[in-house]
Amino acid sequence: MKTPVSVLRLPRGPDPNSRGFDPSSPRFLALCPTSVPSSSSSSSDEEEQRLRAELRERFLRTLLLMTGKRVRFDMHEHVRVHARFGASDIDVLNLQVSDLETPLGVQREALLRCQDVIACSFEV
Amino acid sequence: MVSMAMRQTPLTCSGHTRPVVDLAFSGITPYGYFLISACKDGKPMLRQGDTGDWIGTFLGHKGAVWGATLNKEATKAATAAADFTAKVWDAVTGDEVLTLAHKHIVKSVNFTEDSNYLLTGGNDKVLRIYDLGKPEAEPQEIAGHTSAIKKALWCNNDQQILSAADDKTIRLWDKNTKEAVKTLSFDASVSSMEYIPDGEILVITYGRTVAFHNAQSLDLIKSVDAPASIHSASLHPEKDFFVAGGDDFKLYKYDYTTKEELESYKGHFGPVHCVRFSPDGELYASGSEDGTLRLWQTAVGKTYGLWKCVLPEELSLENSEALYCPPAEIKA
Repeated sequence: MKTPVSVLRLPRGPDPNSRGFDPSSPRFLALCPTSVPSSSSSSSDEEEQRLRAELRERFLRTLLLMTGKRVRFDMHEHVRVHARFGASDIDVLNLQVSDLETPLGVQREALLRCQDVIACSFEV
Repeated sequence: MVSMAMRQTPLTCSGHTRPVVDLAFSGITPYGYFLISACKDGKPMLRQGDTGDWIGTFLGHKGAVWGATLNKEATKAATAAADFTAKVWDAVTGDEVLTLAHKHIVKSVNFTEDSNYLLTGGNDKVLRIYDLGKPEAEPQEIAGHTSAIKKALWCNNDQQILSAADDKTIRLWDKNTKEAVKTLSFDASVSSMEYIPDGEILVITYGRTVAFHNAQSLDLIKSVDAPASIHSASLHPEKDFFVAGGDDFKLYKYDYTTKEELESYKGHFGPVHCVRFSPDGELYASGSEDGTLRLWQTAVGKTYGLWKCVLPEELSLENSEALYCPPAEIKA
């Protein structure tokens, strides 16, 4: 009867709430430059970074503004639904909505997969 | 040193929700080595190579991912998918860097040694070479195969290309002339291909056969028939062993010199689709229809990664931190 080889623990599985690539890991910190601009970075890089930051902020503010409102979601395969927007998860993978109007009836609570959503529109 | 025989404890990496169809290791980097897995769930994953710990999931494909690869430094990843695209990713941040539109399902992706060019192949039967420094430029195309391409690899210092297709041929192409230099024909479809630059060996599987060919002349070196249909095989970096897996769910380990079957391991709950040795040869990883990856030790019982060599006198210690895996695995 052979003894099975011992293991310290099992391999860690995926985090259900994030796509991973931990920005605090030694590899990430070493290989990805920080956001502090160095004296040698070109002004066009800085400008692009500034624009990106601005766009990101606008996007996040739009999500905040959308909260509680009735939103129209245009999705793939010509799907168009209305629902009350609740929140997005941290990686913007899923959108939590209420009273989702579908051809099969109104779904009290639902999650919409972001990769399926093309556009959202709402009254401000 | 360990005189008593130990039983292999494979490490199961869960997370995928559908069959794992391809996997690849990076080279050895200052942060260890890494493993990427391609899955029909469309979400390829990056893992630490020696432990199987999940690092991240590359999100973006809209269909099954058929092929995945890492560059040597594990800074870039590439994936081939049923959504008719190949994608290039930053393997440190997980961000999608490039989407390369194709006209049909893409099956295979491969970086050159310098990571500057990406080779793709798929169901439209055409090999494509993308200059990653000029992503908007049209790729160079190499046509010739008469059926879907399953695997395409750079070889001979990235001057030539090896491709295996459903037309039951393996072709060696010159990347500059785009001509086929040599063609190997088979009676059955080739299920997998691995290129070993050091020693110029090509490992091919078809039917129940694992065959080793010279990668330049394509001459047969030797071949072995396994007990079941084989989907994938891998040769150890030191060329003392090779491993193979296929339809009967088992992993087989052979002595490369004598062609003798040394061990077979049960563990997967479905056919084994891919198997690869790690760059240091200490373990091999297998991907299966059951949706899992498993890591297997080359030297069973050796302390490495998450495996711990426990001496007989330590087994009875109450404060031992080792966890013993029961023979029957409990699947979550």
